[in-house]
Parts: sequence; structure tokens; C-alpha cells
Amino acid sequence: MATIYVDGKPHQVDAQQNLLHACLTLGFNLPYFCWHPALGSVGACRQCAVKQFRSPEDKHGRLVMACMTPASEGAQISIADPEAVAFRKGIIEGMMENHPHDCPVCDEGGECHLQDMTVMTGHDYRRYEFPKRTFRNQYLGPFVNHEMNRCIQCYRCVRFYREYAGGQDFNVFGIRNLAYFGRHEDGVLESEFAGNLDEVCPTGVFTDATHKHHYTRKWDMQFAPSICVHCGLGCNISPGERYGMLRRIVNRYHGDINGYFLCDRGRYGYEFVNSEQRIRQPQIRSNGQIQPVPKQQAIEEGGRFIASATTVIGIGSSRASLESNFALRMAVGANHFFAGASTQELQLLHLTLEILRTTPVASLRDVEDSDAVLVLGEDVSNYAPRMALSLRQSVRQQPFAMTDKLKIPRWLDHAVREAAQEHKGPLFMATVAATRLDDVATDTYRGAPDEIARLGYAVARTLDPEAAGLRATTASGSLAGQIVRAVRAVTGLGKPPSGAPDADFETMAQRIAQALNGAERPLVISGLGCRSGPVLKAAANVVRALQRNGKPARIALAVPECNSLGLAMLGAKPFEEALAVAREHSGTTAIMLENDLYRQAPGSDVDVFLRSANHLIALDHLQNRTTATAELTFPAATFAESDGTLVNNEGRAQRFFQALTPQEIQESWRWLRDIFVAAGRREFSAWKTLDDVIQSLVSEFPDLAQVAEAAPAASFRMAGEKIPRQPHRYSGRTAMLANINVSEPKPPDDPDSSLSYSMEGNPDQPPAALIPFAWAGGWNSYQAWNKFQEEIAGPLRGGNPGVRLFQPPAQAGEYFQDAPKRFQPREGEWLVVPLYHVFGSEELSILSPGVKQLSPKPYIAMNDEHAKGAGLQAEDMVELAIGGASYRAALQIRPDLPVGIAGVPVGVDLFAGIQLPAWSKIERVS
Amino acid sequence: MPTILKDIAAIAKGMSITFMEMFQPTVVENYPDGPGPLRGAKFQERYRGVHVLQRDENGLEKCVACFLCAAACPSNCIYIEAAENTEENRVSGAERYAKVYNIDYNRCIFCGYCVEACPTDAITHGHGFELATFNASSLVYRKEQMLAPIPAHIGANAVFNQAEVLGGAPAQVAPGE
Ligand code: SF4
Ligand code: SF4
Ligand code: SF4
Ligand code: SF4
Ligand code: FES
Repeated sequence: MATIYVDGKPHQVDAQQNLLHACLTLGFNLPYFCWHPALGSVGACRQCAVKQFRSPEDKHGRLVMACMTPASEGAQISIADPEAVAFRKGIIEGMMENHPHDCPVCDEGGECHLQDMTVMTGHDYRRYEFPKRTFRNQYLGPFVNHEMNRCIQCYRCVRFYREYAGGQDFNVFGIRNLAYFGRHEDGVLESEFAGNLDEVCPTGVFTDATHKHHYTRKWDMQFAPSICVHCGLGCNISPGERYGMLRRIVNRYHGDINGYFLCDRGRYGYEFVNSEQRIRQPQIRSNGQIQPVPKQQAIEEGGRFIASATTVIGIGSSRASLESNFALRMAVGANHFFAGASTQELQLLHLTLEILRTTPVASLRDVEDSDAVLVLGEDVSNYAPRMALSLRQSVRQQPFAMTDKLKIPRWLDHAVREAAQEHKGPLFMATVAATRLDDVATDTYRGAPDEIARLGYAVARTLDPEAAGLRATTASGSLAGQIVRAVRAVTGLGKPPSGAPDADFETMAQRIAQALNGAERPLVISGLGCRSGPVLKAAANVVRALQRNGKPARIALAVPECNSLGLAMLGAKPFEEALAVAREHSGTTAIMLENDLYRQAPGSDVDVFLRSANHLIALDHLQNRTTATAELTFPAATFAESDGTLVNNEGRAQRFFQALTPQEIQESWRWLRDIFVAAGRREFSAWKTLDDVIQSLVSEFPDLAQVAEAAPAASFRMAGEKIPRQPHRYSGRTAMLANINVSEPKPPDDPDSSLSYSMEGNPDQPPAALIPFAWAGGWNSYQAWNKFQEEIAGPLRGGNPGVRLFQPPAQAGEYFQDAPKRFQPREGEWLVVPLYHVFGSEELSILSPGVKQLSPKPYIAMNDEHAKGAGLQAEDMVELAIGGASYRAALQIRPDLPVGIAGVPVGVDLFAGIQLPAWSKIERVS
Repeated sequence: MPTILKDIAAIAKGMSITFMEMFQPTVVENYPDGPGPLRGAKFQERYRGVHVLQRDENGLEKCVACFLCAAACPSNCIYIEAAENTEENRVSGAERYAKVYNIDYNRCIFCGYCVEACPTDAITHGHGFELATFNASSLVYRKEQMLAPIPAHIGANAVFNQAEVLGGAPAQVAPGE
């Protein structure tokens, strides 16, 4: 801590920070452009000038850039000094020389940092009368719109895109007054974090291209605090609604998870909510015809299906809220509550839970702060995208230690980068195929899942000889003999299987172990990506071995969907068992909750299941193959239309709230309640609000007791008032529904939360879990998050939202024992593994046009040597057969795939329901 | 006695003004029985009546759907839906145009803030004023009711504010007709 004097008044600030950071943390309004809380300072824009004085006697002082000056003890500065004020105003005027005069047609207008800063500095009259510099705009893909004339050359975009996110295909071109920020030619931006340019750029150069098609000003949108549903990380988002349509998604700051950035799948995957294929009314299928039915009739019909059934089977969903899954479980009973997931996936999820309960878990913020990382089996960029961005920052931790020694403050971004040069901290990537993080990896290892697991086991053993499983062995023989056997069993001694990259397994394990052991905050990342239990166990073993060596090691595991862990915690049983029950019993009714079974299980099994059930009830957002077979379909609310709780990959329960208020669509738990009440189960009528469901959930599952604390209950009020979902500038309120009634109807009630569907309510800052949008007086852009944080880039006031369900254990857990055997490639057969695509592998986002455009065509990939051996060429039509189904796609040559391994893009339609990894022949078809 | 004289004098004075005024020309407007399309109504230039959505010299709509008028409106009675101009369907000169533009005259207080806010001078107050109706829902005016017609003669000399002359809602003429 240091004491600094701002305009004569003393303040306590963090001495490790710069003056701009300090002033903003103190709540002063000091304009800035090139500085960004996550990117640090470069002093490029000269906007943050303040006067600094040497001593109280010094009346003259000198102008300094606040962002480039340390907040050192005793520093005396003035923000209000007339010379500083005039300087800042002059800087804006200079920027405005070439800036267009057309905020009204600019998409940034109303949430523009440049507008805010212009108003803040008081520059209000243009004196420049000469021609302005103009540029050509580029096509940058379906997500990011480019309007280069609006650029003020702050360089934030290149710094984010290249330095922070590791993108290559974007840069600054030209010199002097003609700097151009774009690609070398038109084309889709390659980075999956490109969408963050919308928020990073302080002007309207980069804006949301999807939003453009249904444009609405920020002040006109109705927002809600929400959670991204497109992977298991649970990034916080702020969806905006207008006229009943979801208009866009922006980042909602969360200090422990997403920070200031989202991935493009999360930002642009929202359009499925507005899809033509949405189910908007209850439907009934009779004589092969699907017809809409009135709500009440559908509910009664559903009630009859339930009441007349011998057995009711409920299939829960990992993309439905905890509350909806719980409602289903209560309705059908624990014995008949299943997941739309295979035995394999559920086993892996339970293993994940077991590991999370017994191992210290890293949040994304912790990932960023880790100084040595081992990734086992996870293609992070495609499976848990936002984590990849955090990993890119983790490799800066060791260079930081070095630059700390040189006394370069960490926020002095380019000095730090200059000093660190290409030096990167340890990041080891052991994956099946190449990943987009390989460019920052210290070392990469490619192998079959079992080989990756063995590498993990070998690392653990190198760290702690006991880790190989000696303590638990009861077999005879001398200790020395056991050690030798264990070492052999684990490392396979000698070279990895032929065809794997020529890395010496044993020395590699040693190098990894050394790096992790030498680090202060080592981290191991794994997950369900390669669908292998041994990999997960190996990851846990490495962390445990490190813990035993006294290291504060942590683990981060990626899970497939937004509520995979929540569903597993509710004790859902695998789909295969549901199939068995359906086969055994006749006269069953099956309820499918937000599940396209055809994506979860082999088509033939799903057919059998659907045929053997007597009645089928589906609740879902969009028409799909499963809803097409259902007799009765209920329109289930999406994340944007409902409230609920999701459990993310670190076991954090987070609440999401409703932004849209559609008429006929309601939460799945409400439909289930209505149907079961109609079936005579009166007890469910006690569930009136979300809090009622959470209350029963908590009493039923003591494990999940903290779910109730994920966000304040609906009864929460701020000074007696609700929290407005709409900005106070919200327009058109009285005219919006004039087509229905010229007397302005009362806004819908919200019994489920303490937010109101109105601009009225308490204007103060709500608790962190209930912040619908970022806005503060004079700060209309995303930069307003500054005003919501305890410290800039730190936690939100009152703590980051959500609760961790698992507490870090006091001591290291037991080692897992069963290291897998060496992977043996087979003659004429391939182990087919899943390959993921950030755009394309996730079920809901792929229904958004932009994501669809960027998703891959189906393919079957293998190594070039293999292909040659089998006489195959790229683009040949090939076929593989798994689980009784055959899949046909063009061959793709991927030199990065190990010998004996083939890969297919999961999630794309053709491969829906395929159960991987599995062995198959791959043959050419004509 | 003197009191009676005083009273008579007072009455005579009053009546003299009355009789004098009887022979003055009429100053009250003879609305609605006057001549011409306005039936005797006369306006100051600054009179704020029903809005007119203007067109530019090419006949394109001036409104670029920036939502500023809606934001400025103190009674929140302006409803806008934006859409993108395309090569085939160009409605305004900028990127977007107002696909739907409604003003709810049940609410409008004719304050002129929208006119002041408009960066393109697209929305102006016309002189239309006969708004009374038995059905409140017909007071929600659509864009088509407020839009200036495409001038017959497009160019510098075109008469734009025909709507003002006609006193209200002109017939919609589709672009290109
Ligand atoms: S970037 Fe900002 S200041 Fe520039 S035109 Fe757009 S809204 Fe206005
Ligand atoms: S494009 Fe935006 S972020 Fe990049 S330099 Fe210009 S104003 Fe700054
Ligand atoms: S990383 Fe996952 S949770 Fe985060 S924005 Fe992307 S898809 Fe959503
Ligand atoms: S009328 Fe003017 S202020 Fe209103 S949306 Fe159109 S251009 Fe903007
Ligand atoms: S913010 Fe300090 S110079 Fe740009």
C-alpha cells in the first residue's frame, strides 16, 4: 500500500500499480484509451495525462501519463489541474480530427468509450475543417464488422488480438497518420476470441456483425444476468432483449471466470434462441401430423399419459437447469431418472466429481496465474475455449518473475514483453491431435488417450515414487522388484509406440515433472475431451504427487456441457439403463427433458427406446429428431427465457436470469409441475416460484445446499425496490405494446427473481450476481465495469457471483492405481477419437447462422502415412462403422494424428450419437 | 343624482367599446368554416403539429433509424424497428432505415424534443392538428401516415412539406413509383 495525494487529498492505493489504475480504483473519472485493465499500459494515446508535483511546495509540476507512472509512496498528482485538463481536451480534439461525425449511424453509439471520454474531457466543438482520412473496410467474417474510419489508433485491438489472444492474421499496417488495423486481405478472422474486439476497441471500428441485422441501442435493451450455455466453463454473459427478440450477448465481468473476455461461440451462439425452428406452442402428434394445441389441453393430455403409465421414465439433460432436472427427478423418482448420456460419459462425470471433491480446483483466474501447466488430453481451444485464453496468459507468469527482478512493473506491458522476448513459462500439451495452443507450448506430445494417461502416470511417479501404486499393491515380491515392475508398467521403458512423435517418453516425463515441481503454482488440466478415465486419473495423480511434495498444485477439468456436473450430482443414471427399463416394461411413458437423444446415443438404440415407450413427451427449445417422434411437445424456455442454476466445471453453482418474456414458453420445471399436477400429483402444486423448487432441491440434496446462495432470493430488495432490467434511458415503453392496448399494460411480474421487467427500480449497484448490465454515470460503454469492482480487474463488489460447491480438501487424496497398458495400433483398424471444433461441436450454438457457417463439413481424418499405406488420398470418400452404424465422409489428411488413430468431428450432424473412442475399419467407398 | 349620472357614463363607455368592436374586422380565425384546405385555420411557422418524416433530395427517407428521437422522447411514445438497406431495397441514404416508425399520439405531448434530437432533420413537426378520434388505437400513427410523399419533381426545387399544406397524413407513395 502507498499513500498518494490526488488534488491535495491523501488516498491509500496499491503501490504495485500505476496511477491510472489507482485513480480509477478510487473512483475518479480519468479518461484513457490505450490502457485496458487486462492488457496493461503502453502510453500510446496520451489521454490519461495528470499533473505530478515533486513536493507540496512544487506549484509548477509536470504532465505525466497516469498509466505510465507508478503509484509510488507520496506521489502528488492533480487531475483537475487546468493544464492537465486542457491537455486531455486537446488530445481528444486531435483524435477527433479524422473521426467521422456520425455517431447516429454508428453501432457503437450510446455505448462508446470515445463518446464518453469526449464528453468527460469537455471537447464539444470541432475546429478542424479539412478533409478527413478515409479507409476501406474489410469483410472479417460473420461475427465482426469493420469500419476503419472510426479508428483512433489506440492499438488496443492488435495488442489484444496478437499479444493477448495469440492470433496471427490481424495486424497494423501503414505508417504515421495512416495506420490501418485489419487483415492483410479480406477474410474470416481466425481467432476464436476475435469477437472480444467489439468490446476491446474503444470506438465503433469493431462491432457485432450479428447484432447489426437486428440492431438495437444499448439503452433500449432489456438485460439480465446470465450464464453462457455453450460449454462447461460457465462464463457470465449479459443477453439483451428488445421487442421479444434476443438481440445480442456481451460479456458480464466475473473476476474468477471470464474476466473481460468471452469466446466467439459464447458471444455469437445465441441466435438459436430466435430460430425459425423454435417450438413456440405445445404440440401434439396425431396420425403423423404435428399440430399446435392449447396449453391447458396439452397439460391435461400429458397428465393422462403419466397417470395411465405403468412406469414413467425421465431423461434429464446436461443443458437443462438444475431445477428442471430436479423437478423431473422428483416427478419420476430416483430409480427412473436417467441422463441423456452414455454410461461412459456418466462414469467420467462421476470420476470428475470425485476428483473435484478431493483436489484443489483452479478457476480460470487461477489458470491464468499458474506458472507451470500440464495439459493432459484436452484440446482446450475447442472444448473449453475461454480456458485457452487463460492458458495463454499462464505462460507469462515465469517471465513475470524474471521481469520482477529487473524491477519492471507488470502493468508496463511492452517493457515486460520486450524484456521477456520469446521466453515463455512451461506449458506442456499432451493431446491426441495438434491444438491451437501448441504455438505457446514448451513441448507437445501426441498420442492415443492411453498413451497420454501413461505420460501422466509417469510424471506422477517421477514426482513421487509412491504414485505408481506401490502402497496399494498386495502382490508378492520384493519392494525393489515391485518398483521395477511398476516403473515398467507405467513408462513402458524405452520408446513410445511407433509412429508417435519422436519424443523420449521417459525424459519428457522427467522434464514435465521438473517444471511442475519447480513452479510456485503448478496446474494440471484435463477433462472429458478425450473421453478417457485413465487420463483423468493420471491428471489427478500428478496433482496429488505435487501436493505431497508440498506444492499448492491445482487441477482444472473441462466438462462437455453447461450443467454436466449438475446432472451428475442429481444422480442421473445412464441412458443404457433407461433403454433396458423401456424394453422390460410395457405401457411406459418417457419424458425427454431438453434432450436430442439422437445426438447422445446411437441412432438404433434411440429408435428402440422411442418405439418401446408407449407415450413420448418432449420438452425442448427447437424442433429436432427427438421432438419429431414425440407425441406431445412442450416449448421449453432457453437460458434467455428462464431462471435457473448451472454447475460449471469447477463445481460453481451460478444462477442465470430471464431476459425475454415469451407468452407460451415456460421453464421446463413449470411444465413438469403442471403435467404432474394434472396427473394427480397434487404435491407439486406447492412449487410456485423458482425459490420453492430450490428449497425442495436443497432439502433433498444436502450436497447442493449452497445452491440456494448462488444468488439472492426473489424476496431480495434494494431499499424496498426491485432491480431494473432496463437502463433508465429505455425508450418507446408506452408505444411498444400500443398495437395490443394503448393503455400501457403493466410489465410482467417476475415471481422468480428480484429483477423487474422495467426501467423502474433501485438505480444503485445491485449485488454481483444480479448485475444485468454495466452502466455507470458518464460511463456508457463496457468500461463501466471499472465502477463495479472492488479493485480494477479484481473481484466485483461483494465478491464474484456463484458459490463453489466443493471445498478444497485439507490434504492430498489417494492415488489412482490402474495405469493403462501401452496403446497397440491394430492392423487395418483405427481407434476413432473425437475431434472438437469451437464452431460446430456444440448442439445449440450450431443452430446460429454464423456458427453454422464456420463449422466444418463432416470428415474422417487420419495420418498421411496411414493414408498412403491404405492407398487413400485426401478427399476420398471413406466409411467407418461404429456401433452398428456406418458413417461416410471425405478423408482429411492430418499429419498431426498419431499412428493407429483416426478422428471425426463430433457434433456435426453426420456424426450425431456416435460413441467414441471406438475401433473401426476405414475403407474407401465409391 | 350624481351617482346615476356616473353609472350611465360608465355604461355608455362600456357599450361604446362594444359597438366599436362590432365594426372592427374579425380577428378570430373562422375555423372550421373558413375557406381553403385548412378551413380557416392559420398557423405560426413554429407550430408543433403532427410529425412529418422527411425525404432527401433523392426521394430517400432521411431517417437512418438511429433511435435518438425515441431516446429523447419524454413520454416514451416513439416506436422504431430498424432494418438494413440493401442494394435491391434502398430506403434511406445510410446503412439502416426505420422499417417501422410509430408515434403514439395518445402520449405525444408535442414537445419537439424528437425534432431537436434528430441528427438528419428527418423528423419535423408539421402543422397537422385534427387528431381527435373516437378510437384511441387509431392515434398510433404509422410511418406511412407521417412520411412526406415523394415529390413529383425530384430536385432542388421540389416542394417537400406538402404534408404541412395538406394538414396531416398524406397518402403513402411507395419508393420508385
Ligand atoms: S465510434 Fe463512438 S464517437 Fe465515433 S462515431 Fe461511433 S459512436 Fe460516435
Ligand atoms: S481499431 Fe479500435 S482498438 Fe484498434 S487502434 Fe483503432 S480504435 Fe484502437
Ligand atoms: S468458453 Fe464456454 S462458457 Fe465461455 S463463452 Fe465460450 S462457450 Fe461460453
Ligand atoms: S427520426 Fe431522426 S432521430 Fe429519429 S431515428 Fe430517424 S434519424 Fe434518428
Ligand atoms: S491510457 Fe495512458 S497513455 Fe493511453
